[in-house]
Amino acid sequence: MEEKLTREEVLHVANLARIKLTEEEIEKYQVELKKLLNDVEKINEVKGYDDEILIACWEDNTKLRKDEEGVMLDPKKALENAPSHIGNYIEVPVVIGESEGA
Amino acid sequence: MKYLNKKIEEIHTLLKEGKIKPIDLVEEAFENIENNKELNAYITLNKEEAIKEAKELENIEVDNLLFGLPIALKDNIITKGLRTTCGSHILDNFIPIYDATIVDKIKAKHMIIIGKTNMDEFAMGSSSRTSYFGPPKNPWNKEKICGGSSGGSAATIAARDVLFAIGSDTGGSIRQPASYTGIVGMKPTYGRISRYGLVAFASSLDQMGPMTKNVYENAVLLNAIVGKDEKDLTSANKEEEDFTRLIGKDVKGMKIAVPNFLMGDIVSDEVKNKMNETIKLLKENDITVDFIDVKYLENAMTLYQIIAMGEASSNLARFDGIRYGFQAENVKNIEDLYLETRRQGFGEEVKRRIMVGSYLLSGENAKTYYNKALSIRDDMRKELKNVFKKYDLMIGPTTVTTAYDLTDPMNDPRKSFMDDVLVIPVNMAGLPGMNIPIGFDQKHMPIGMQIIGNSFEEAKMYQLASFIEKELNLNLTPGGEE
Amino acid sequence: MTNYIPTIGIEVHVELKTKTKIFSNSKNGYGQMANSLTNVVDLGYPGTLPTLNEEVINLAIRAATVLNCKIRKQMHFDRKNYFYPDNPKNYQITQARTPIGYDGYVEINVGGTPKKIYIEEMHIEEDTCKSAHRGDKTLLDFNRAGVPLIEIVTKPCISSGEEAKAYLEKLRETLFYSDISDCKIEEGSMRADANVSIREKEEEPFRTKVEIKNIGSISNVGLSIEKEIERQKKLYENHETFKEQTRRFDDKLQDTVLMRVKETGNDYRYFPEPDIPFVVITDEMIEHAKEKIPMLPDERRKVYGEKGLLEANANKLIQNRSLSDFFNTLLEENIDFKIASNILLGDVSAYLNKEEKSITDTTLTKERFIELVKTYSDGTISSKNLKEMLDSIMESDKSIKDIMQEQGIENISDDAELKQIIHNIILENQESVTDFKNGHDRALKYLMGQVMKETKGKANPRIANEILLEELK
Repeated sequence: MEEKLTREEVLHVANLARIKLTEEEIEKYQVELKKLLNDVEKINEVKGYDDEILIACWEDNTKLRKDEEGVMLDPKKALENAPSHIGNYIEVPVVIGESEGA
Repeated sequence: MKYLNKKIEEIHTLLKEGKIKPIDLVEEAFENIENNKELNAYITLNKEEAIKEAKELENIEVDNLLFGLPIALKDNIITKGLRTTCGSHILDNFIPIYDATIVDKIKAKHMIIIGKTNMDEFAMGSSSRTSYFGPPKNPWNKEKICGGSSGGSAATIAARDVLFAIGSDTGGSIRQPASYTGIVGMKPTYGRISRYGLVAFASSLDQMGPMTKNVYENAVLLNAIVGKDEKDLTSANKEEEDFTRLIGKDVKGMKIAVPNFLMGDIVSDEVKNKMNETIKLLKENDITVDFIDVKYLENAMTLYQIIAMGEASSNLARFDGIRYGFQAENVKNIEDLYLETRRQGFGEEVKRRIMVGSYLLSGENAKTYYNKALSIRDDMRKELKNVFKKYDLMIGPTTVTTAYDLTDPMNDPRKSFMDDVLVIPVNMAGLPGMNIPIGFDQKHMPIGMQIIGNSFEEAKMYQLASFIEKELNLNLTPGGEE
Repeated sequence: MTNYIPTIGIEVHVELKTKTKIFSNSKNGYGQMANSLTNVVDLGYPGTLPTLNEEVINLAIRAATVLNCKIRKQMHFDRKNYFYPDNPKNYQITQARTPIGYDGYVEINVGGTPKKIYIEEMHIEEDTCKSAHRGDKTLLDFNRAGVPLIEIVTKPCISSGEEAKAYLEKLRETLFYSDISDCKIEEGSMRADANVSIREKEEEPFRTKVEIKNIGSISNVGLSIEKEIERQKKLYENHETFKEQTRRFDDKLQDTVLMRVKETGNDYRYFPEPDIPFVVITDEMIEHAKEKIPMLPDERRKVYGEKGLLEANANKLIQNRSLSDFFNTLLEENIDFKIASNILLGDVSAYLNKEEKSITDTTLTKERFIELVKTYSDGTISSKNLKEMLDSIMESDKSIKDIMQEQGIENISDDAELKQIIHNIILENQESVTDFKNGHDRALKYLMGQVMKETKGKANPRIANEILLEELK
């Protein structure tokens, strides 16, 4: 088995996680992530389980919320903790392009 | 005169008779904390507000056992107007604008929040050494760790600063530090306590719980903080119950299982011997104790790594410096803002787990690892639940060794998981688990035992725990004075 | 030139018409002050958790029903992980593995040919926040964050811009009429993206596809697809290739422009949302959602046809939901539906447009309207009378009869009196009588005019006409 991940693989993950890495850290993760992957590879040795998934260990079914309006924040309060805000808006450096989501 | 080393019933009577006031307890708590400053148990103290609240309580009738008593909260529990850092630089200026549900409940009992306790950054670690604010120290020996991630809560209880603390337990973070510091720590059934306002580490595993010096006080605090919450869909819909109701009741005829996995080679001889002594004590009192095999327990660690880190990588994505918390300066663009804020804001262990979690969910890995882990977890839960068809409770050691040195190396990423190898299975199955002290090693460091119950059977666990507590009658105050 | 077969798939996001957001109880509203419709859940504060709005599930079940989808009985939510400032938690809660509806269809009709547009799946998700770009900054408004959406994804079975337009119009009409969404494209409560590729033969695998985003109107969807097909044709004809890309429709250019070339596959790290337990959809929930479905447009068209309405009038009524709903309350009555629809689409609509009102904001009740239609049908009032009476009809609650009296509108329906008047007029206008008998229809109109003049417009026009013809024999 290969002993480390490629540099590109580590950089891809760092980009997904939006964490900037130093050269040293990239090398560290090449080895460490691979080691960990070998560890968790063990679950492929587990046999005989069924394929149902368990999201979490709750006992109840979902309780749905009534569609009734609750208390909302004053806009000033909503922005209070934001490091950069202007007027009623939270401010970030300009974003180019479109959201990937909805 | 000192009061906070007394039992809750005594303090309650003094309060009720007007011999002491809540302010006396609050002042004593801050004095204790000041005297034990070296332990570094707290990140933030709530001094002004606590004194104000204590004075306000003078005009209110003493209406419950917990009235006027100081309590310490782990710093991943959201407190309105009181800094909540999660032991991290990325939140070191964060003043929340809302209260966690558990905080509402604590306030409803007129308890007084004394401060926010030290912890591993975002509860990721097993020795509280990943805290941005430096590690807390073990009151039994200040060279030793007090475990983690609820290390500060464990330290302040062990040191008898206050009677009550809340911790959180994702993979043993209440029980393991409780074991290292000789206190009682309960992780209730998943869903017992609303998670609303607990900063999420791994949502499907996280659960808060009480940390106290004795069993009874633990059950009393649990009474106050449980309950279905509209704000948390994973909170369980259970009738109100009194968790102290079985304390002192006869344990004769109880059936107890010891999973062989919990007594395997990884466990040190000292711990194993103490455990065997306790088993002997139980047998002498007409309790059946059987050693059994439980399928999948040996896989719990692997499942935990996949599920906890996968969920954590997503839960911690919201810390981006935009809406709250630390924001990196002099950034060029939005990408830079993310990359720098998170590079500077998170500590090494947190970054490592986010990286690992992101990797385990990326591309095809989600199918190969994460979804598979969820499936196996389901089966493991069924296996464990099966045990309770024949047995009332399970027991075993809480940790493989006693607390180790603060200076032990931290560079092996697998080490911190190994510290929790015996406590993790409980979280994977959503079961309740607790630690009670059962003795000391040769260096007089506490040894703990774990009691595992069926879902929502915490009362039965307290029954056995209180029996052992009474039988052993250990002196659990560091320094010896009681 | 080679004949190319276009393949088009469409994804539509529709905002659900609920009072509150999907995962929090703050208000689902549009056009309000920035960041005034939020709470700590919408802002993604640490420790906050999602709750699930029951009305979202209800409307999604209803949507699945009207789009002929199968409904999943046990479902969960998934997290879609990506960093973007409009995404407060940096993950979006959506349904990747267990969409609530699947295998549905919508029937369209293009140029007289009916066709089923197949729906692959429809799922529930949360909307992102709104961002506005100002110089080197982007401003964030979280009012929209957490607004409930359903995303409806067709199979790649659409073959022209015309079909795409017909599908979207049908979809909008259906969802609007089922009270699922406002479907206002201009306010963003309905948004469509199209995937377009072309190939030479059915047997050939799909070629490179292009996604067109942010199209501001249904007609522009059609136009942008046609333009894109042409663009791809030209490229293939010139033996050029192109990369998978995202384009947008530019209103000024009336054409699509490149937004970005797609990088390697996105890595969203989907996994089941651990904060929301499985949702079990019971038969009761499905029944409850179905109960509330009003008569849909296709059904209305059919019923209106049966009541004798012209197709054009039926469609006009359906385009105005409140008029159509009003009309539906009359269906059991014994009235002339053609006249009823004419009055609604004519004078009543004109009044409503002028006053910028909806019919429900006026005093026109079902009972008074029936009286009006009857009074008009039997000729008691003329269209001129109707116009005179309109303001009172729409603004007071007096009966039609009372209004007529009040305004002195009293038509002579007494046969004997009219007969006498008409008899006199015929005697005085023998020239016109001769003209009429020689086949000049104009003469009849002239004579009617004389009758009206003589009666000061009070003659019942239908009866007067009958008597006149009788006398002329």
